[in-house]
Amino acid sequence: MTAPDLPPRPVGRVVATELKPATPHQFFFWTATESPIGIGAIVRSDGPGRTVYGVVTDGFAYSDLVTPLHDVIGADGDPAAAQDAPTARAEIRLYAAAVLRQVPEEPLQPVPLGPVHLATDADVVAALRMDAYTEGERPTGVPVGVYRAGGLEAPVYLDADFLLGPEAAHCNITGVSGLATKTSAVEFLLASIFQTFPAHRGTVAALCFNVKGPDLCFLDQPTELSDEDRRVYERLGLAPEPFRQVTYFAPHKPDGVNLNTLRTHEALAANTEPLVWGLREVLEYAEVLLNRDDLDAKADAFIDFLADRVVGRTYEDPLLRDAPFQVETFADLEEFFRAIFDYVEALGRGSEVWKTHHVATIRKVRNRLGNIGTRSKGLVTDDGPAHDLPWGRFEDRSVTVLDVAGLDPLAQDLVFARVISKLREHLERRDLGVDHVMVFVDELNKYAATDGPESYVKKMLLDLSERGRYLGLVLFSAQQFRSQVHRRVVGNAGTAIYGRMDMDELATPGYGTLSAATKIKLATLPKGELMVRHPHFTQPIFVRFPRPAVLSGREGVARFPPAPELPFADAVARQLRALDPAVTADAVRALVEGRREEDVRQALHATRRTRPEGVLAFFRACLGRTVRPEVPPPRRGVPALRRAEDPYAP
Amino acid sequence: MPDLTALGRALAAAGLTPARGLPDASEGRAEEAAVRPARLVEHPALETRAVGPAEPWPGVVAFLDGVQRHAVAAYAGSAPLILAEVAAGVRERRERVLRTAQVRRRRLALGRPAVLEIAAAALPDHDPVPIPAEEPLHPVRDLVAARRAVDQARGALEVELGERYLRDAPGWLVVDGSLSESPALASSPRALGVAKSHATLPFEGGDLDRYLRLPAGHRTSVFAPASRSVAPVYGWALRLWPWEGRDLLHGLVRVEAAPTEETLGLADRLSRWILRERAPLSTPDPRWDRLLYGIHDVEVFLRVGRQPVMISP
Repeated sequence: MTAPDLPPRPVGRVVATELKPATPHQFFFWTATESPIGIGAIVRSDGPGRTVYGVVTDGFAYSDLVTPLHDVIGADGDPAAAQDAPTARAEIRLYAAAVLRQVPEEPLQPVPLGPVHLATDADVVAALRMDAYTEGERPTGVPVGVYRAGGLEAPVYLDADFLLGPEAAHCNITGVSGLATKTSAVEFLLASIFQTFPAHRGTVAALCFNVKGPDLCFLDQPTELSDEDRRVYERLGLAPEPFRQVTYFAPHKPDGVNLNTLRTHEALAANTEPLVWGLREVLEYAEVLLNRDDLDAKADAFIDFLADRVVGRTYEDPLLRDAPFQVETFADLEEFFRAIFDYVEALGRGSEVWKTHHVATIRKVRNRLGNIGTRSKGLVTDDGPAHDLPWGRFEDRSVTVLDVAGLDPLAQDLVFARVISKLREHLERRDLGVDHVMVFVDELNKYAATDGPESYVKKMLLDLSERGRYLGLVLFSAQQFRSQVHRRVVGNAGTAIYGRMDMDELATPGYGTLSAATKIKLATLPKGELMVRHPHFTQPIFVRFPRPAVLSGREGVARFPPAPELPFADAVARQLRALDPAVTADAVRALVEGRREEDVRQALHATRRTRPEGVLAFFRACLGRTVRPEVPPPRRGVPALRRAEDPYAP
Repeated sequence: MPDLTALGRALAAAGLTPARGLPDASEGRAEEAAVRPARLVEHPALETRAVGPAEPWPGVVAFLDGVQRHAVAAYAGSAPLILAEVAAGVRERRERVLRTAQVRRRRLALGRPAVLEIAAAALPDHDPVPIPAEEPLHPVRDLVAARRAVDQARGALEVELGERYLRDAPGWLVVDGSLSESPALASSPRALGVAKSHATLPFEGGDLDRYLRLPAGHRTSVFAPASRSVAPVYGWALRLWPWEGRDLLHGLVRVEAAPTEETLGLADRLSRWILRERAPLSTPDPRWDRLLYGIHDVEVFLRVGRQPVMISP
């Protein structure tokens, strides 16, 4: 503890009356009116043959005043005179504490009467059962913050086995917006995991969805920390440093070259990659699009047909056309659809089926797939190969951020569904590159709402919550209103973290187990303080965590202002400069002048994908020879006939 | 049941003062109720005067009180064995907070010498207090004698602690009851007795009327009670709360201080201090109208800290 010279004087004494008896799970103790005890303080009570640890959940104060009227009489009806009473009334400070642990654990008995002490460092370890996982040869403790009370301070650890699996898993964070609680907490916790996750438990990586603003856009940039924050880092045994290995992925804007993210400052371009998917990637997860409307099993079957037989393959159907179809892009797919419709129309009235698929179903699927191309322009490309996450090459202690803040909700769903599914597939096959992946999703009440429609994303989140831990796929989720998130998602989170809460939210039944005092504390929790539930902790514990050692979104945007949206050629030049700083805008402008934008995009994607030595030369080679359009000479026309009877003729 | 309100109005119309019964413990030892005429020392005739607005007590002040409890625990033949506990305490007030300055407790075993001899082995932590055995055995009479002995033991403890406090500490000492049990207390310039019971009254006739019908916030002239006790004191009556509509003794206390010229000069000021001590009310004690909160606090402290009176197995 930080105050080793503190005398071991009791701060209170357990009392039990018929109306307020001590039980195996709760006890009451009184203290002096001036005492360091507060809601959330951890205390130790020593009784005969038994030590009990508890956390203060409520407090009471009362005097020997029988009725308020007696105070009025005593003060002659003058409130000012009441303050002048020569003797202060006898007053009690009585606290209720919930039992955290009893030693010995058996037989479980009511808390004996005895002196109450503030918990010391060792007491906190024992009270929270942290001795089971922070000591020994293979510790699995992950610092989550420091517990503070009465000038004492003790680190609090979570058990990695219960945070990342396999015993329990997932972490859910709740807190009001605007206090940086959720984002800061998850940033700190991820950093803590990366620094302390034991090697004997395997490798770990994080994948974060940035769903709003610049929140997670600067995880690789250091920030200024106060001395106090640095001290807390030291107390927790952590290094106050930003994440070392971060890769950002963001879709393009509709122009296909400017990135749709706030992380567009040139100094940050080196690890900011475009996220571009093609028809194949979209079609694999078309179910995401289907459940948004009333598309039926027939449409589902047709999409399966497309995915299995057509897209990415050579499809031959002499009835449609002589040449085989090679469907790789949305444009190819449109051509394929066109051929079907032409065929059906040619058959005439009464023929509305092609290969058992009704033409209406085919039209629905065509519209839906076309819709994603339109609404997700920038994410979905029609003119080039995909640029995807490094599946199979995830590295230990790496962070991958998918910035989908600027995407249409439908496209966000698509990204979410595909990425989670791919993670799951790779983890099942054990070929992702790491053993555990923490997926951070904010605004969970949007993706897994209690009363929202059944969506593919929600089903996926439920599946992830319930079965992800066996795979090493761990959900770190956050939301403002926990009560609005599907119970099975938050219920499966082994660890729950609460920042400052809204009183209306606290009034919902999900918080019924918290005392009124704990709710008040939660509603007024200062920045940097959290309430933590963890399987090893019998009761929620309040901890303080230091500021994350990375730039906040607001700071990051101020220090690295997003680059303005550039004209097409300049945007291409910027992307090429990320590969080779020697590339000049003028050179790129000269190269792309007169070229079709699709061709330029293809060349750019190829260059990014290949990352050649000579960037500009490779790009030039990809563009190919310039074919100047021939301008046909003007044809000599036939002079108009002049008619005399036409008075208006020229 | 008669309509008491209407009855009261009728009695008032007939020239009487309606009342609602004696306040708790105001009669003291009722069997000793008497008038013992006092000697006026402040004025030639008994006067009443307003003491002025209440004012705070300067500096440190302490409160002294004692408690007692007794019960018949056994009989040796027909002779009772009474066990008692007496305690006294001084609680000192600093910055509005009362804290224990001194406390002492005694366990007593009372009975005829022969009874005490038989019980001695079973009561190792009780002080034996013999009661007279000259008279023929009568359990009730022995019980009265034992109660008197317990009173005396408690009084002796109070005196002991009071004298010690005045000797060792600089503050004023407010004593529950009379100062005249101790020459040291009675002569101290920093001791004040506040008696709640009025079994012994210092005047008769018209002076008694003036004494008992004292208005709220008023005091009587200072007088020297004709006490049977060991030390002379000066005293005066002080009305803490309006009595009209309640009882003559409601809110009436007898204040005692050292029998000196300084006391005569301080009587009004001391009275104003005591008036200030009306708050906070010492409710739920039924004697709240005369019981100062500081005294009440000492009493509560002593009562909750006492040990049960029982025979050791």
